[in-house]
Amino acid sequence: MTAAYDWVSGIVDWAIADWSHPGEPDRGILARLLEHMRLSYVSILIGLAIALPLGLACVRWRPVYPPVLTGVNVLYSVPSIALFFLMLPYTGFSDWTAIIPLALYTLVILLPNVVDGLRQVPEHVRQAAVAMGFGPLRRLVFVEVPVAVPVIIAGLRVASVATISMVSVASLVGLGGLGQLIVSEGFRRQFDAPIVVGIVLTVGLALVTDAVLVITQRLLTPWAYAGKGRSARKRAARAEAADAGDDAVTSGTVSDHGESP
Amino acid sequence: MITFEGAAKVYPDGTVAVDELDLTVETGRTTVFVGPSGSGKTTSLRMINRMVEPTRGTIRVDDVDIRQQDPAKLRRSIGYVIQQAGLFPHRTVLDNIATVPLLLGRRRSKARARAAELMELVGLERSQAKRFPHQLSGGQQQRVGVARALAADPPVLLMDEPFSAVDPVVRTSLQDELLRLQQELHKTIVFVTHDIDEAVRLGDRIAVFRPGGRLAQYDTPERLLAEPVDDFVESFVGYDRGVRRLSFFPAGSLSLRQDVVFDTEDRVERARAAVVSDREPWALVVDQGRSPLGWVSARRLDESPAGVTLGSLELTPYGHTFNVATDSLRAALDAAVLSPAGRAVGVDTDGAVLGVVSQDDLGAAIWSVSE
Repeated sequence: MTAAYDWVSGIVDWAIADWSHPGEPDRGILARLLEHMRLSYVSILIGLAIALPLGLACVRWRPVYPPVLTGVNVLYSVPSIALFFLMLPYTGFSDWTAIIPLALYTLVILLPNVVDGLRQVPEHVRQAAVAMGFGPLRRLVFVEVPVAVPVIIAGLRVASVATISMVSVASLVGLGGLGQLIVSEGFRRQFDAPIVVGIVLTVGLALVTDAVLVITQRLLTPWAYAGKGRSARKRAARAEAADAGDDAVTSGTVSDHGESP
Repeated sequence: MITFEGAAKVYPDGTVAVDELDLTVETGRTTVFVGPSGSGKTTSLRMINRMVEPTRGTIRVDDVDIRQQDPAKLRRSIGYVIQQAGLFPHRTVLDNIATVPLLLGRRRSKARARAAELMELVGLERSQAKRFPHQLSGGQQQRVGVARALAADPPVLLMDEPFSAVDPVVRTSLQDELLRLQQELHKTIVFVTHDIDEAVRLGDRIAVFRPGGRLAQYDTPERLLAEPVDDFVESFVGYDRGVRRLSFFPAGSLSLRQDVVFDTEDRVERARAAVVSDREPWALVVDQGRSPLGWVSARRLDESPAGVTLGSLELTPYGHTFNVATDSLRAALDAAVLSPAGRAVGVDTDGAVLGVVSQDDLGAAIWSVSE
């Protein structure tokens, strides 16, 4: 027990001592955490910014989708570490060395979700929108994109967790936020504390990001959540009963007596 | 008025969906396009709001060629109800109904107030305004669909198999609702269905389409049932078209017999005298309020001792009744067929017995209709 306690308190002491260094903004755990957030969020946003128009194009011009999907899937099979090294000659040790490959991975995960989400609009809803007098652009903005939001955010959740964990790998090219704690300070110096702190903060960051996305989705798409509970099911059942009851009354007025064969 | 002049739709692969359609849809009336699948009825409907562009021919709405208008603008001026309602899943019931007024640039508050009015009109409760479509039953969703189509008060309403995805009980109530609405609103309705019963029920005029997109017959429901133009229409209209045609004749024309209707206080010998003298095998017993209680057979009257009141005898259930004022001959025939005595009991709106129709009288009435 005491050994475990000593181990944990040793890590906590190290974390507090190394949290930040006044006058040296580029050193310390906080600096690594902020770098980690910067690299992952910028990658995710760029990935999303490309996935949305590309997905729209794939829905609009159906034959485009299979080759595009195959192309991005091939990219996904390239090990991230190889991509980081491939980028080095062009982008050097700038953030882009990490961001470009990570944005590509986000794109790979998001694209099918954007396409599926947009295709998810039932045909009768699409037809109704046309018949109401929505032009193609309005239909996209007011009907198809809103209906696709839950599926897109589901993809965003997977992509963000994957990206946040993958940023650490970029530490091998000198970037990588919390990954640097794990690789350079922990692994190379045979020292537990930075590794544990790196893992805990990475997992924590992933959880917080996921929670923010879930909350965002709830705010953006109240309809996807309304009435999933028991009371709503009961309400729907009552509604069916009311429909039928309504009818028992009308057919009881004998006005349509024996109308069906 | 909507006119089709030689309208045709031929797809690039050579499939003929609609073949030279000439037809006039009257203003303020319900016209039903009916036919088996592949007969071009839905394609014809969709040509009206340019969801399908005709390959040849002209379609005019109130003498204006529809090709002169921008499709989106044209569609905003024509209500459209689709099968399965086609409601927007991400919008509340109220905002779904307000769709077209908002597209037309009306203020949100005005559009919503109008939507609330329409909810009432189609029989939805105000408490459902903030619900989302998936929280409603199929029948309620379709009511929202009808309200949405009516929101901008378009003179023309296109309905594309709107009630075919709900169960038969709910369908009947939606049909009743549509008939009621139409009495109030007098829209020019074009209604597509594959169900001839629905067509006969709702249509002022019915256009029967045959496979290959040709118009087979365009007539009133009554004439369609009485005189189908050919074997196709006859078989499509159904084997019991003769019986169904009776729906168009009021039961009020039947002669009702009062002399075989007796009170519970009447004695056996009185009923026997009336029944025997007439060779009527059945007498109907009613209570003091003239509600029917049941039939008593001539044989039972013969077997019962004199002096016994009819109320103390065992009665045969009277079966179904028909409303003399509002029902059709078909309902009267149905009531007779379902009655254990083979006779139909005619009642008034309060359910009080007005008289009995024997099979002979019913037969005579049916025969006179067929003349």
